[in-house]
Amino acid sequence: MWKFYFLGMFFILNCNSFELKPITSDQILKEVDAYKGDKAVLVNIWATWCKPCIEEFPMILDLGKSEKKLKVFFVSADFLDNKIDVKNFLIEQGLEKKSFIKNQKDQSFIDGIHEDWTGALPFTILFAKNTGKVVDYWEGMKSKKEFLEAIKKSIQM
Amino acid sequence: MKKYFPIIIISICLLNARELEIGSAIPNIDHRLFETKGEYLSLNDVKGKNGLLVIFSCNTCPWVVRWEDRYVTITEKYKNKGIGVIAINSNADQFDNKDSIEEMRNHAKNNNYNFPYVQDFGSKMAYAFGATRTPHIFLFDKNDTLVYRGAIDDNAKNAKKVKEPFLSDAISAMISGNPIEVSSTKALGCSIKFK
Repeated sequence: MWKFYFLGMFFILNCNSFELKPITSDQILKEVDAYKGDKAVLVNIWATWCKPCIEEFPMILDLGKSEKKLKVFFVSADFLDNKIDVKNFLIEQGLEKKSFIKNQKDQSFIDGIHEDWTGALPFTILFAKNTGKVVDYWEGMKSKKEFLEAIKKSIQM
Repeated sequence: MKKYFPIIIISICLLNARELEIGSAIPNIDHRLFETKGEYLSLNDVKGKNGLLVIFSCNTCPWVVRWEDRYVTITEKYKNKGIGVIAINSNADQFDNKDSIEEMRNHAKNNNYNFPYVQDFGSKMAYAFGATRTPHIFLFDKNDTLVYRGAIDDNAKNAKKVKEPFLSDAISAMISGNPIEVSSTKALGCSIKFK
């Protein structure tokens, strides 16, 4: 039994082409900007050890799949030495290609994403489809209904 | 629907609570808080002749776990210089499990806390301070005025690799009567579990 478990883990850790890219706040905003005029963008900053982040993660993932005019970026705020746990969690959640992990000092990362963000996790920020401007942002969890309202607004603007 | 139920119930918008502005007085200074040793304490009871350091903290947050060695060393360094220190647990939503008074007592003992560690029922202090995360630091001077808020330093993982000891610099400057160069900083942390 254990043999299969270790073989499975080996496969997950070594043979999967999933990319976890270290990223700075400036680079995140560049990724967001690339969707201007095409899709609204939701950036969710989370961590594997943040319980509310993990609780709302599947819902956000589902929203990203069901809303065709929305692009979702997840950015892990885990320490870089926790990359394997992050990658395993993302693969378990069904992410197939690429996601991001913070690679910047806290202060400049936080202020680079939004000056009103105090640093508490999870943090979600939405950018408008047409203008690319910030439409809404919040710390902590929100309900699916509240997410949908903010997404709707982001797609219209 | 069922799996999202907790999210709907615990829907929180922390940005409603604005962080206390530099220059503000100590909020709820006489509000009594239950401490792990079984007594009630207020910030007025804890403050020293030269100031008060308030740390919003908890038992389980990984950022707290990585930073809390510095709670102890900073207290050790400044308690004889008239700085009172208190750690406030405002995770009221977890007071019946991970942040219970019993768990807090164990946590304080296991980590050699040399300052009082109190429960904030109803997260009243966190709301008053605009504290959103753990750890979240607020430093007041001898006139009960906020002079520094934010992070302990720039390296949660390793005290030996700290390049910018924001809090120690602020306390030293405050005690010696010099201006505090950096009075507001930010760091990542676990969101406070408000009830």
